Amino acid sequence: MSRAPVPDVIGTLARLGLAAVWLVSGLLKAMDPDQTYIAVRAYDVLPDIGVEIVAALLPWFELALGVLLLAGVGTRLVAALSAALLLVFIAGVAQAWARGLSIDCGCFGGGGAVEPGETTYVQELVRDAGFLLMAGWLVVRPRTVLALDDRIGTRRMG
Amino acid sequence: MGGASRAEKRRKQEAADQRLAAAGIRVPQKRNRAPVIVAAVIAVAVFVGGGFLAARLLGGDVEPTYTATAEGAVVTAGTGPVVVDVYEDYICPACERFETSYGNEITTAVNEGRISVRFHTIAILDARSTPEGYSTRAGNAALCAVPAGIFPRFHKKLFDDQPAEGGAGLSNEELIALGAELGAQGDFAACVEGNTHADAITKETDTARADTALQNDKGQFGTPTVAIDGKKVDLNDTSWLQNALG
Repeated sequence: MSRAPVPDVIGTLARLGLAAVWLVSGLLKAMDPDQTYIAVRAYDVLPDIGVEIVAALLPWFELALGVLLLAGVGTRLVAALSAALLLVFIAGVAQAWARGLSIDCGCFGGGGAVEPGETTYVQELVRDAGFLLMAGWLVVRPRTVLALDDRIGTRRMG
Repeated sequence: MGGASRAEKRRKQEAADQRLAAAGIRVPQKRNRAPVIVAAVIAVAVFVGGGFLAARLLGGDVEPTYTATAEGAVVTAGTGPVVVDVYEDYICPACERFETSYGNEITTAVNEGRISVRFHTIAILDARSTPEGYSTRAGNAALCAVPAGIFPRFHKKLFDDQPAEGGAGLSNEELIALGAELGAQGDFAACVEGNTHADAITKETDTARADTALQNDKGQFGTPTVAIDGKKVDLNDTSWLQNALG
């Protein structure tokens, strides 16, 4: 039995870790649509109808990314989509911080306005940057073990 | 398969490809199916989320036909036998969600005379507007809307146009204009400008806060809170109103 090369193991951990992130965050958001709406609205960026649409679709989009990463289908493409979504999140939190809003990011459920002293923007941004690093690894080097990509030849972007 | 035989196989394949090319035969390339599979999975997800959204947005609005009376900071809507107490703050985002989710169902039940609703005007989030005090000003305007004969639609409008937390909220002029748009009778403008019901709202808020029957597990009172026959309702159960109607 041959052992997988170390970079493959790192990539696999990144893939499964990112899958867990999307599945957990998507599930928590999908289970509480009202709270998700309040969280999206608190960023104070979109008009009401835009908030409705984002709050309705985001949880399911995250779940889709999670399922695809877990299965290891189109790993490079899904990692690129994940990175793009994480950049949007980072921009959202950064603009809230810069504008002096007092909100919880609602990244894993929850969200909405909080008391001015209770924001955790630094932790939220550092955490997102960590996830972005995982996605970046998979974009550069999508080869992992236990991936369906090996069976159906879908590792490449397109 | 060893590395050597794999390289051998590839060389043979390339040679075969070259012979085919020389003979003018083109072998179709195998397409990468990743984009198609990924797009399909995401499309399913968007379809599910969009379905829930469409089901909610396509509901349309139920027109309120009931009349309302006010006592202190409590507005009583309709005359039905089941009494539903609703505690709301006009800048509270969760209250806006509550109205969006259950407004039609409540209005229908009141219209049909199955329930009466006591809307308790609460101001616990006055600090969430800049300058402070929107909760009280909006609550006051809603109470002014009762004698003006426009409460049901004005109440709904305040949540439809709910300002973001942290902002200034609707000015008194905007509140008066909203009332005029809905056909307010009498001295609605003076009532709004005078913040006539501010004391009653403060009193109602203190009473609600002190009522242990309205508090959550952590001993806190928040909005929205709903009680039926004095018992706090669990709003996580989306069929709370149907359950109460039996």
